[in-house]
Amino acid sequence: MAILEEPIKGTPELENFIDGEWVASDGEMKDVVNPATGKAIARVPISTKEELGAAVQAARKAYPEWRRTPPLARARCLFRLKELMEQNFEELSRVQTMEHGKTIDESRGETRRGIENVEVPAGIPTLMMGENLEDIASGIDEYLVRQPLGVFGIIGPYNFPFMVPLWFAPYAVATGNCVVLKPSSEDPISQHKIVELADEAGIPPGVWNVVHGGRTVVSSMLDHPDIKGICFVGSTPVGRDVVYKRCGETGKRVISQCGAKNFAVVMPDADISMTVASCMTSFFGNTGQRCLANGNLVIAGEGLTDSEYEAFYEKVKKAFVDAASRIRVGYGLDESVQMGPLRDRRKAERVLGYIERGIQEGAKLILDGRDPEIIGGWPSDCFVGPTIFEDVSCDMTIAKEEIFGPVASIVRASGLDQAIDMIHSNPFGNAASIFTASGKWAREFQYRVECGNIGVNIGVAAPMAFFPFSGMKDSFFGSLHGQGREAVRFFTESKVVIQRWF
Amino acid sequence: MENLTASSIISYVQSLEDGSAAFYGELAERFKGHRDSFAAFAAESKKNKVTVVRTYQETITDALEACFCFEGLELASYAVDTALAEGVSLTDALNVAIELEDAAIRFYLEVAERSEALLATIPRAFKRVARKRSKRKDCLEALLQ
Repeated sequence: MAILEEPIKGTPELENFIDGEWVASDGEMKDVVNPATGKAIARVPISTKEELGAAVQAARKAYPEWRRTPPLARARCLFRLKELMEQNFEELSRVQTMEHGKTIDESRGETRRGIENVEVPAGIPTLMMGENLEDIASGIDEYLVRQPLGVFGIIGPYNFPFMVPLWFAPYAVATGNCVVLKPSSEDPISQHKIVELADEAGIPPGVWNVVHGGRTVVSSMLDHPDIKGICFVGSTPVGRDVVYKRCGETGKRVISQCGAKNFAVVMPDADISMTVASCMTSFFGNTGQRCLANGNLVIAGEGLTDSEYEAFYEKVKKAFVDAASRIRVGYGLDESVQMGPLRDRRKAERVLGYIERGIQEGAKLILDGRDPEIIGGWPSDCFVGPTIFEDVSCDMTIAKEEIFGPVASIVRASGLDQAIDMIHSNPFGNAASIFTASGKWAREFQYRVECGNIGVNIGVAAPMAFFPFSGMKDSFFGSLHGQGREAVRFFTESKVVIQRWF
Repeated sequence: MENLTASSIISYVQSLEDGSAAFYGELAERFKGHRDSFAAFAAESKKNKVTVVRTYQETITDALEACFCFEGLELASYAVDTALAEGVSLTDALNVAIELEDAAIRFYLEVAERSEALLATIPRAFKRVARKRSKRKDCLEALLQ
């Protein structure tokens, strides 16, 4: 199968986008490496505190006029941005595969999810409407308006370099705010492309700024007095102990969406074929680098005798292992490939470390992805194939911690109660799925499980753009979530007016 | 039999419709008496490509469809040699065209059947193109008579 044409030629040096201009950074430059080929495809600056400050200043300057721009006019900019994204759909998708490693189908899926997050806030004239009530007392009316706050900082993760910043930026801009966005320095090219299109769509200078970089930019954002709120997606230690804590200290609003360890529970009445198909995407899609990825496959024996349970367990396990062992690993621009590499060698080594830990702690390795066959013979540094353990207990490291790689643990449970107890014993609460034909079990599951996103016969419980991307416990810090109406509320202040005319 | 990713099927649709458009464009040049019909088929193939690609791009999501595979297909089985010899007769050219349509219809119906588990827009788009190409085949058979 041929490799699709790569859209990035040479090794372009990325610049910051501040006040409608491309500005070279004074910071050191770092290579952006295609994890499948091992080749540098761009160089990204690690910007300075002063450069972040210049972007915030530009956003602050642009804010008053942008705020006064009618919502319908702001919405039209987003309609144009959406149209430009559609026109550039294929290029945007291939860039993601080159910079992140995911397969081209996964990248196109990410592009679509990103565009949906431009479409939803394009309805801002309706979404931002307030409330009113006449005659709260004699001759007195009361109404509520939603007003923007100013400048917001957005800190993007590496696992969805195109989509995740779009959970926030279009909503912020639609509601009349300005943004300073820091993409992941590991795969920053998608956001570079998006801001090019945002500029072409007519979003005014200073409204949508991009500053590349690392910790210096992040800590400068968190401390900057003119930034009203922060949107962060990343690990729990950073999201909780740095971002959430610092935003509390500096009085900023915060959406901090963090790590996960998600469970999929298979009940005895589940459609095994459909369940396994769904689990392939969930456990191994995006090479497991998804905060909604399932990591633990719990096979629950509700109402079964011991021998019935063993037969059911073996049937699910065999189907799961068979399907995973057929996944073809390689460069995502090769259309025959179903799973790409991890983002970089360090991440692959981390995943391999977890596999070793699983073996040391007594789990049984039944599908070994440590030395996968790589379609096309690409450098093997970043590739780990689908890996499955059984005989895993919930106190083992591989069952407790977020591996962020294609590693699945099969866990036994006597029934639904024990499966839910297992989920609750884990500190994370991002997502959980149940596979069953029983409405009773499904309802019980969605009612009791303390996770923000629940899948019923769905492996990846990813909320659409018009719903909040939820999360609980150690997976989310803040009050309101990204996407949908909650994002509109996050980016606006409610002002209540009570009026009487004499 | 191959397990084909959605991307490889969409690439095949693009090459099938591009190839069909070129083939009917050539027929329009060679057989002036039926130029309008052949030119219309060429234009329709270009639209078919847009229909399928747009539907795919509007439907695919990273979470639901990205790892989907079309199972048990052999793309080579739909291949038709559409190269026309110098001085080929209209009858022979029409027979090649009908063979092309038969293969295309079979392809679209088979991928429609295998994509029933996806959002309805995907199999619907494949069936829509299959219907169009079926009507095209009827027209070609009428010309043959």
